[in-house]
Amino acid sequence: MAMAALRREGRRLATVISPQPITALRSSLLYEEQAPLGVRSISTQVVRTRMKSVKNIQKITKAMKMVAASKLRAIQVRTENSRGLWQPFTALLGDNPSVDVKKNVIVTVSSDKGLCGGINSTSVKISRALRKINSGPEKETKYVVLGEKAKAQLVRDSKKDIEIIFTELQKNPLNYTQVSVLADDILKNVEYDALRVVFNKFQSVVSFLPTTATILSPEIVEREAESGGSLCDLDSYEIEGGETKAEILQNLAEFQFSCVLFNAVLENACSEQGARMSAMDSSSRNAGDMLDRLTLTYNRTRQASITTELIEIISGASALEG
Amino acid sequence: MASSAAVPFWRAAGMTYITYSNICANLVRNCLKEPYKTEVLKREKVHFSVAKWVDGKPQKPTLRSDTPEA
Repeated sequence: MAMAALRREGRRLATVISPQPITALRSSLLYEEQAPLGVRSISTQVVRTRMKSVKNIQKITKAMKMVAASKLRAIQVRTENSRGLWQPFTALLGDNPSVDVKKNVIVTVSSDKGLCGGINSTSVKISRALRKINSGPEKETKYVVLGEKAKAQLVRDSKKDIEIIFTELQKNPLNYTQVSVLADDILKNVEYDALRVVFNKFQSVVSFLPTTATILSPEIVEREAESGGSLCDLDSYEIEGGETKAEILQNLAEFQFSCVLFNAVLENACSEQGARMSAMDSSSRNAGDMLDRLTLTYNRTRQASITTELIEIISGASALEG
Repeated sequence: MASSAAVPFWRAAGMTYITYSNICANLVRNCLKEPYKTEVLKREKVHFSVAKWVDGKPQKPTLRSDTPEA
């Protein structure tokens, strides 16, 4: 009698326990072939391979985080030092993001590699917004794109407006010579009244400010200075040597652009590493969570199959006895 | 003042202020003594690839690099 009760209980247990892990595992079992008819134990093979792959992914993301952290430390110092390059220019010429000119060139700075959160999308978004703000009759806006990722996004909808694309910037460690040659290439190949550099300014490892820096062409600087405003102090400066003001302004605008671009490229590289670090950190945490859940399911399934087997043995023995 | 008199000449040669200042900077770097010289020259390497776009189509990218291709 007791044995019969146990048998009934056992059958109930088996039906209660076994469907549960199956539903929990369904997502990972879907692609697996159905077990042949009559096999009652659940194969834990799939969960085991899945656990192994999650563990490997976690190892990779952890390593990437370490790499990003060490790169960040090196580049952060240089970025903070490079801020001194553009500050005098802003003090002298000011930053006029709202200036209204005909030929706008938007220089979008992005990274070549992915897996670094949303920094590239942010700079692309800001670039598009800038283009919208500055569009109008008789105006034209062109893009100059730095980095593979912004290219991939901008090609989709603004193919016609792309002027030049630069990639492979970070093969060697970033240095001023490289960026200045690049700035030179931009200046020689596009006609501009205002260059707007869009980049992510590094604030801390987890926060990046999308920033625009505006560089005006010498003619526009002259125009703005005549019309008053923040630029009219320029005349109070004395010019040494035999150069005219226009020449000085042209040299100054070119040098300003290369300095601002240098800072922008560094800031963006720094933000990239920071963003990658936090992205990799959260993804290794997610992998850990997933691993915990999978381990739980695995153990439960294993336990269930052991229980089933035990019950079968006991019931078999009791059937023989009774 | 040799530098101020030079301005119209490099401008006429199609150089920008950036190119001019880079050449000057390189000259200064070459004046350094040996252990520092190679270190400094090694630091300032140029490498990137440029692709111009005409009418929404990319032209063939060109490589601007001062290191020989490996």
